[in-house]
Amino acid sequence: MDSPSFETLSVESATVVPQTSAWARVRKSTSVRIGGTALLVLVIVALLAPWLGTVDPTLFDPASRDLVPGKIGEITNLDGETLKHRFLMGSDSFGRDIYSRVIFGTQVSLIVGLFTALVALAFGITLGLLAGFVRWLDGPLMRVMDGLMAIPAILIAIALVAMWRGGLATVVVAIAIPEIPRVTRLVRSLVLSIREEPYVEAAISLGTPTWLIMLRHILPNCAAPLVVQGTFICASGILTEAILSFLGVGLPPDIPTWGNVMAEGRTQFNQYPHNIFFPGIFLAVTVLAVNILGDGLRDTLDPKMAKRV
Amino acid sequence: MSVEPREDAVTSAPILEVQGLSIALPPGGDRRTAVQNVSFTVGRGEILCLVGESGSGKSVIAQGVMGLLPKALPLTAGRILLQGEDITHAPLSRLRELRATRMSMIFQEPMTALNPVMSCGDQIDEVLRQHTRLTPDQRRDKVMAIVREVLLPEPERMVSSYPHQLSGGQRQRIMIAMALVLDPVLLIADEPTTALDVTTQAQILKLVLDLQQRHGTGVLFITHDFGVVADIAHRVAVLRLGDLVEMGDKARVLQRPAHGYTRMLMAAVPTLRTRQRPDRNADAPLVLSVKGLAKTYSDKSWFGKQRTVHAAKDVNLEIHRGQTLGIVGESGSGKSTVARCIVRLVDPTRGSVKLGSDEIASINAAGLRPLRRRMQIVFQDPYRSLNPRLNVGQALMEGPMNYGMAREQARAKALELLGLVRMEASAMDRYPHQFSGGQRQRICIARALMMDPELLVADEAVSALDVSVQAQVLRLFEEIRERLQIAMLFITHDLRVASQVCDTLAVMSRGEVVEYGPAHQIFSNPQHAYTQALFAAAPGKDFAFGG
Repeated sequence: MDSPSFETLSVESATVVPQTSAWARVRKSTSVRIGGTALLVLVIVALLAPWLGTVDPTLFDPASRDLVPGKIGEITNLDGETLKHRFLMGSDSFGRDIYSRVIFGTQVSLIVGLFTALVALAFGITLGLLAGFVRWLDGPLMRVMDGLMAIPAILIAIALVAMWRGGLATVVVAIAIPEIPRVTRLVRSLVLSIREEPYVEAAISLGTPTWLIMLRHILPNCAAPLVVQGTFICASGILTEAILSFLGVGLPPDIPTWGNVMAEGRTQFNQYPHNIFFPGIFLAVTVLAVNILGDGLRDTLDPKMAKRV
Repeated sequence: MSVEPREDAVTSAPILEVQGLSIALPPGGDRRTAVQNVSFTVGRGEILCLVGESGSGKSVIAQGVMGLLPKALPLTAGRILLQGEDITHAPLSRLRELRATRMSMIFQEPMTALNPVMSCGDQIDEVLRQHTRLTPDQRRDKVMAIVREVLLPEPERMVSSYPHQLSGGQRQRIMIAMALVLDPVLLIADEPTTALDVTTQAQILKLVLDLQQRHGTGVLFITHDFGVVADIAHRVAVLRLGDLVEMGDKARVLQRPAHGYTRMLMAAVPTLRTRQRPDRNADAPLVLSVKGLAKTYSDKSWFGKQRTVHAAKDVNLEIHRGQTLGIVGESGSGKSTVARCIVRLVDPTRGSVKLGSDEIASINAAGLRPLRRRMQIVFQDPYRSLNPRLNVGQALMEGPMNYGMAREQARAKALELLGLVRMEASAMDRYPHQFSGGQRQRICIARALMMDPELLVADEAVSALDVSVQAQVLRLFEEIRERLQIAMLFITHDLRVASQVCDTLAVMSRGEVVEYGPAHQIFSNPQHAYTQALFAAAPGKDFAFGG
């Protein structure tokens, strides 16, 4: 039979399938662009805080108490010199510059957000991989996680901060702990489905050690949902830090954070709303930017999750 | 609404006419149109088979006729006439009237095509409620009549059952009942038997044939399987990448295909006859011996009864060096369980699996590791068998490097094996998504061979591939076994595939090996009733395929 040989056909089927990379899709997404740009501006503001017309956020001057935004007043620096300073966002009841405190507060918030996400992911990934791979550990570990999830996150955080000495590390850990069960659950469910994939079974029959299977075959394929989850933890971490500081159980009052600024302005909110207004705006914009970025990443990196939510 | 009396129709006038149909694909795809300039007709009482490989556009044509095209696939040219009425751009209301009454469709997967929260009777009844003014009693009689006509056992029980309570074949019968209850002139069947086992497929094909002859329905039957074509078609139309390359009477197209593509497809269909094989060296060393292998799954919950499923019972097999053993069976027969027990991806409950002189079945993890490299497996789904985050080079080199081979050496070996499976060296740095299914399966085979295994297990390794690609991969398996003299265990549901590669054959049913012996013997003279039924059901068995 004069049929064409199979080899000619395989040449035709050898065309490389064009496919846009995940990164190219991420860059095209409007949400990622908007959220990413806003976040980038905030990061630059935080890094350049000392050079943005600010003074030391802890400086105060009784002569400049309760100034409205835009007023020029006096402020005394640590050397005892008295300077003229324009209070762009007004001053608080101690005579501290709200603008400086809010701009320096950006540093604190972004650091808290970033490290909360990293701590929660690090512990969540480790525990999730263990639960998904070590079968006898799965039950006990997940019941502990269920128990942790039953307690409201903010209460755990308050309790933990109250137990330990207040400080940046304490607050980060206290905010991260209630997020760990969520990451653990996510990683566990991903591990349970990915470990049934034929490429994992192939790796088993190729003699790949279990720890290498986790790191090489399972973890990289969890990356997309974890990046997305990380951004959402970051946003909620920033918000929780502000709440804790506002309640007076977060960072010590001498550290300028948005929550502290708002807490101090609370009593005078009727006369001087700027005390709460400006840090509130920064908080809202930051959380919104991170959330929009997270939405964009979810839609582009993890389309299945986008449909579920 | 009116159903035309069939006496009025002139037999020669076609029921469905498709003229110069073109349907566009969204921009950015590998081609601009899904189908271009396709014309065909379906006459009264005629079955036209649309055959093609994946991506040929056959399902898109069916959607076009039913008016079910998604917005991303606009119809750009051509006309569709149903009994002379132009329905190309018919409004939705008119299409809704025509669907079920004059044209209806059945799909590949009846579980997803049926509504899981409605009883089957209600779903058939719904068609009547929508399109007729019959009283509830009349409707009920009609439902019962059609359920009897599709030969469902215990019609009363079937009507009140929900889809998940029925088997795949029964669900497809319900779908057919729904499609035919209003006696449409045109039935479109889109791969209706592809998801079914071969014996069920044979029953459904017979049913479609019977009903179609009795009602004079015109059928547009879409399939990728030339065996099915040989069994059911009056005329055949062959599609290739959206072009209708050949159309004609079944006998003409199958026996004297005019187009090169049709000839190639026909040659790629494996024959049901076993090929004359050179007698293998009888004293070749025994590579694998399985004795009394059993796998029981038990599902113990805190409350309620314990359920046990015997996936495999008392399986005994032997494979010698350079030989291929085939395990054939339908879904749920336990053939994959046996394969996975042998390579210890699952732990067998009982029995012995010996690779050479080493026991595998009961050995602990540490002892198993050095044995793993001597047996490798290739899986069914080429799209899930490769880690999307590793490039081909990394995937190939992983195994040998696990056992201490140096990177340079492993790379050289990977290049050599890529050559053996006929892939270019440039594939090393590419990622799996850049390859087609057939190419990926070659990569998987190369990955398995990187370990120099004594035993290669192929678990439905060609089932997901198009027939032309399947033929290439089957030849590759043959060549590998020939050249490397390894023992192969070939799991398949397809007798045609088994006949091509197997020296010995084990037929499995419900976890047990019901027949075991030399392949040519089983093919020429099957002993067990189940094997006989399997052969009787093989589509196109009366037709000599293959080159």
